[in-house]
Amino acid sequence: MTPKSKSSSHSAARDLFPGALEIMVLQTLHWQPMHGYALVQHIQQRSRDLLQVEEGSLYPALQRMLKAGLVEAEWKISPTNRRVRTYSITPKGAKHLELEVSRFEQMLEGISLVLAPAKG
Amino acid sequence: MNPLKGIFQRRRMTDDLSEEMRQHLEEKIEALVADGMAREEAVHAARRSFGNATLLEERSREVWMWPWIESIWADVKFALRQLRKSRGFTAAVVLTLALGIGANTAIFSVVNTVLLKPLTYPDADRMVNFLAPSTVIANNLHNIPEFHFFQRQTKIFKEVVAFDSAGPGFSLTGGHQEEVHGIHVTEGYFRLYGAPLVLGRTFTPQEDSPHGGKVVVLSYGLWQRRFGGDQAIVGKSLSLGNEPYTIVGVIGKDFVADVQADLWLPFQFDPVSTDMNHFFFVTGLLQPGVTVAQANAELQAAYPEYHREFPNTDPRPHFTVGPLLDSIIGDARNSLMMMLGAVGLVLLIACANVANLLLVRATSSKREFAIRSAMGAGRGRIVLQLLTESVLLSVTGGILGLVLGFVSVRALLAVSPAGLPRIGEDGSAIGLDWRVLGFTLVVSLVTGILFGLFPALSVSSTDLNSSLKESSNRSGTGFRQGKTRSLLAISEVSLALVLLICAALLIRTFIALHEVGPGFDAHDVLTMEMSLNGQRYQNTTGVSQLLRDGRARLNALPGVEITAAGFWLPIDVEDGTGFQIVGHPFKKHCCGSAWMSITPGYLSLFRIPVLRGRDFTENDNAEAPAVDLINETFARKFFPNGDPVGQHIRHSHRIETIIGVVADFHDGGLAKPADAMIIAPIAQVSDSYNAAYANIQPLFWLVRTRGDPHTFIAAITKQLRIASNGFPVAHIRTMDEVMGLSTARQRFNMLLLTIFGAVALLLAAIGIYGLMAYSVAQRTQELGIRMALGADRSTIRKLVVWQGMRLAFIGMLIGTCAAFGFAHLIASFLFGVKSWDPIVFASVPVLLSFVAFVAVWLPARRAAAVDPMQALRAE
Repeated sequence: MTPKSKSSSHSAARDLFPGALEIMVLQTLHWQPMHGYALVQHIQQRSRDLLQVEEGSLYPALQRMLKAGLVEAEWKISPTNRRVRTYSITPKGAKHLELEVSRFEQMLEGISLVLAPAKG
Repeated sequence: MNPLKGIFQRRRMTDDLSEEMRQHLEEKIEALVADGMAREEAVHAARRSFGNATLLEERSREVWMWPWIESIWADVKFALRQLRKSRGFTAAVVLTLALGIGANTAIFSVVNTVLLKPLTYPDADRMVNFLAPSTVIANNLHNIPEFHFFQRQTKIFKEVVAFDSAGPGFSLTGGHQEEVHGIHVTEGYFRLYGAPLVLGRTFTPQEDSPHGGKVVVLSYGLWQRRFGGDQAIVGKSLSLGNEPYTIVGVIGKDFVADVQADLWLPFQFDPVSTDMNHFFFVTGLLQPGVTVAQANAELQAAYPEYHREFPNTDPRPHFTVGPLLDSIIGDARNSLMMMLGAVGLVLLIACANVANLLLVRATSSKREFAIRSAMGAGRGRIVLQLLTESVLLSVTGGILGLVLGFVSVRALLAVSPAGLPRIGEDGSAIGLDWRVLGFTLVVSLVTGILFGLFPALSVSSTDLNSSLKESSNRSGTGFRQGKTRSLLAISEVSLALVLLICAALLIRTFIALHEVGPGFDAHDVLTMEMSLNGQRYQNTTGVSQLLRDGRARLNALPGVEITAAGFWLPIDVEDGTGFQIVGHPFKKHCCGSAWMSITPGYLSLFRIPVLRGRDFTENDNAEAPAVDLINETFARKFFPNGDPVGQHIRHSHRIETIIGVVADFHDGGLAKPADAMIIAPIAQVSDSYNAAYANIQPLFWLVRTRGDPHTFIAAITKQLRIASNGFPVAHIRTMDEVMGLSTARQRFNMLLLTIFGAVALLLAAIGIYGLMAYSVAQRTQELGIRMALGADRSTIRKLVVWQGMRLAFIGMLIGTCAAFGFAHLIASFLFGVKSWDPIVFASVPVLLSFVAFVAVWLPARRAAAVDPMQALRAE
């Protein structure tokens, strides 16, 4: 192994576009506050395992959102009696989510318009 | 965000973060175990799907940081810890750098003061100096008609002012007598130079005209010192040479002019003067928008007009101006640039040395870096960290160097003032400013990056696997790094050789200068200056009366051998004159030569032989026919075929007879050959000449004593005071001291370059020693094996010596080639030695070889002392 290829060498295949993870996290938290592990589980289940998020990569994203004031965190006791740090969405986060979702939908629309004639 | 609050908040954040990441992993593991996976397998699986925890944690944390500053701060903290662990290494590196950077700071602080600091005058960038490209002596002096001609060129110049060259001293009489330094200026001088007024006013145009009255402007210093800062001083009177002058104003403290003075007097030029004496400097202010080139073109075009007015006066081909700053700096620029180049080389050697040390160190911690890469540290991160360490070292070295450089430059200039302009009394004007600080900072940073980048790149690019596998003490013998270090050692040797050769050439120059017979005997001669102020000395009778009385009194002193006087010392004659030779066909601008006037006894006092004809006697006075002496060069130049004695020259509107030929002496400094020269007796010089001299510069009294001249000072000054009716003397020096001052610049050059050369030699020796010592330590095992296989100690010793010396020889070969080029660059500083001087080029490499041999011998001896059994067992 050379030093250049780090442990995440096969992550390229499941790289999301920038910001995608944030939208999914915000959407999930919009539904219900939860902690990191639960967030990952939820995203994987909801995507029917089509999106394999490198679990750890959630944390830099969460920190970024914390700093931007889109989410809040609080230490709580989970139903499984575990001390977990639970994230919830802030009003600012909700607004941001709305904006991002509409932008995402526009982008999707744009992409599908481009792809449509190729299909037909 | 409040930064402090931010830091606390962040600490909690990062604690929270690691905690929750740990929790995440645990939860995952438990879930996997609950699904039936074995615990150990579950741990691995959880880690795998989590990703690189360290890296992710770092990324998460970075979100909260000002990423750059903080990661650098972390690196700095780490580097500091590392450096504190190896104090010896740190000290060696910091000292080497302090030496290199200090030398650069020292020289740069001089360069800054002399070359870079702008002049403090208003519109200084439009100020120009009038140059005098004379065929006789280029001393930039001008006469009154020229000055008035310049003033009339109002299209080019907004203002033209004149001021004394050196300025006469003034005998401040009345009460406590002292010699003060005063200069004559024209009325516009204070305006042009932006002199601030404290009290009163400067001269009016009326006061600067003939019969404008005796008025004077005081400097702040004299006003404070002599008059206690008297607020009512304006209008009071002051006695100069026993004559009363009215004080009209006081100039402010901050005024620094090209020519420093205690007081100023108006020139009071006659507007219709035809006096052709060149005796003052002229500066001007260009009209806005006029460039120096345009001004010169206009002057050139206007010159015929001047020439029509004064047809056969002056051997000057034309008039030119140059930027004021350039003429103040003069030839100091070249000297300083050479020094800057030399210290640059010293710094490069220091860099190479430190790079070598760092390389050794980085090599021994190669495994550490390999482990850190394996743990996920990016290459950039590692390089950055190593660079942080090296920059930290260089900046520490730089701070120390700043102090070192600053102290040493002051010490050096106090010892050897070097005759540099603009540096103040013993270099007092050299200070720290943003330029020096900025320069040192930039040099430190660049140095740090330069010597740090080598090791950083070479260490961080190594193959992980082999580094991890390699046993720690065998790593670093790798071919590539050995080569890098050898290259560094070679370049050190070659740079040192270049510096040493330049230093040796300058030493030879200095020796050659001292071997030059000046053409006169300077030992046991006392020189002192007296300013001849007052009406009494405005004619030849008054001056020769004083000289006769003074010399008679001095000759009567016991222990005095000969006395004389003159307006120039033989090492520094700066006046010239034009003349025609009677009987030769008349040519415009034909003949010019140096010129000086002396009393009888001057030549025999300096033991300058009269080769043909006779010396002056007391009988060559105003009543006797006008006579001259000429020197050998004059005779060769103007009388190549005949005997000049008895010939006549037409000079200052009369016919003068040549009565003798004297031997040449170095009238323009030791490095220059003698100029053709006419010598005249003071007693026969015209009133206007003597008056002009009395007004522009002091007279030199000269006494040859039997024994140490210093012991005669009190008696001599007392007699001169009586003879002159109370005038003090100043600048009492032996002629030997004057000679020392005349070679001050060469001494300065030689001294500095020798110091730099020695430092370079030391650094190069340390470099070779370090390289060989390290290589021997690394190869202990190999040497042990060689010995076990039958190599005897002398073979081992030879092996090591040869390896080290080979590097030195390659370095010297390269250095010698480079030195040819560099020596060519300093050719203008050399005297009496060629830039390819074979003695220098042969002896310096021998010296360097010797030093290199010592540096190699020590490790070689250690290598030979290796105990094979120990070496083999050590692994």
